[in-house]
Amino acid sequence: MNDSTAGPDRRGRFDDTVSGYYPDMYRYAVWLCRDPAIADDVVQESLLRAWKALDSLKDDAAAKQWLLTIVRRENARWFERRRLETVDVDDLTPAQEAVIAESPNDDVADVRAAIFSLEDDYREPLVLQVLMGYSTKEIAELMELGQGAVLTRLHRARHKLREAVDFEAGGAGAVDER
Amino acid sequence: MNCEAYRRALDENPAFDGGAGHIAECAACRAYRQSALAFETTLAKALELPVPGLRMPELPSVDGDNVVSLEKRRRGILPGWFALAASVALVGLVSFWMLGSPPQYDSLAEEIVAHLDHEPAALRVTDKAVSDRRLHEVVPANIANLDQAGSLVTYAQTCKINGKLVPHLVIQGSNGPVTVLLMPDESIDQAEVLEGEGINGVLVPVGNGSIAIIGDKDENLEPIQQRVVNSVTWSA
Repeated sequence: MNDSTAGPDRRGRFDDTVSGYYPDMYRYAVWLCRDPAIADDVVQESLLRAWKALDSLKDDAAAKQWLLTIVRRENARWFERRRLETVDVDDLTPAQEAVIAESPNDDVADVRAAIFSLEDDYREPLVLQVLMGYSTKEIAELMELGQGAVLTRLHRARHKLREAVDFEAGGAGAVDER
Repeated sequence: MNCEAYRRALDENPAFDGGAGHIAECAACRAYRQSALAFETTLAKALELPVPGLRMPELPSVDGDNVVSLEKRRRGILPGWFALAASVALVGLVSFWMLGSPPQYDSLAEEIVAHLDHEPAALRVTDKAVSDRRLHEVVPANIANLDQAGSLVTYAQTCKINGKLVPHLVIQGSNGPVTVLLMPDESIDQAEVLEGEGINGVLVPVGNGSIAIIGDKDENLEPIQQRVVNSVTWSA
């Protein structure tokens, strides 16, 4: 038997793989489903699925993308199982308000609230780019979109956020077509 | 490049470093860039939510061929018909569990002994210690302070015993792995011997809680028990 697939080494590899990326998994899940309690469930399911499928991860360097892909699928499954729709709502839920209340300052709190209110299509690429450090190409692959579509969503996402928080963009309105 | 194209590129990715010629001449876009970068800093902070400690789910056994499990040691002395009967019983137990009823135990000691076979991957002979980070996740400061001196901790997992999440550790004894369960909320009056096939264990009171220590039947638990009890301080 190959030791790399046997019980103890497998568990060690799993722990090493997961422990470093768990914060990314959790934050990605929260921003996907916009609810910390659901995100916790999604991450638990994702960890189980990752454990069962660990042998399919051939390259540990690709672990982050592999884990985030699992989180993305588990999030979709979670809503599918409960027949809930990922509708965008204007009003913040108590769970979201609790997350916002933990913000270090008012500016961050305002932006957090605006991110919660952002449509899924815009929020996800932004999270992947800013939080996960993904390139446009990587976002396009994960979201199964063209790179042009990703860039458009990123551009619009930032515009919407700045508008929502009334962030002063220096020189806006003074576009010089030179 | 004009202002619109420059600003769009920045909005798509604030790390965009092209358009140097344009911003050298355009004060408005220089200001826009400063503003965009400031916004990006706030955005990054907003996305970085506080993360709770990692809570690992109970992981099912996938492949335990090189695991030294108590169950395997028992299997060697049991007749074949017993394995078949046990399989049937296991199917029944799993079905029962899947219907939502957890197994009931008559005592804490019984549940602890039963828990040993729940995670066979824990019982392995190894000299590879779990990381400090992992150990601190499983034994956080609000549960206990653990002085690892002299103990090689090779497994650390949070497990449910008597409805409470407790640290489940494995250290290496002279006869193989020794299971240690830290139970700060399980108060007992006196030490209790833990009995089971091929095992040798003890449940000892420590402060307002208790600690279970279980090893191979030939393991001398006394020095281990002393070391473990001395190394644990419950938090509040």
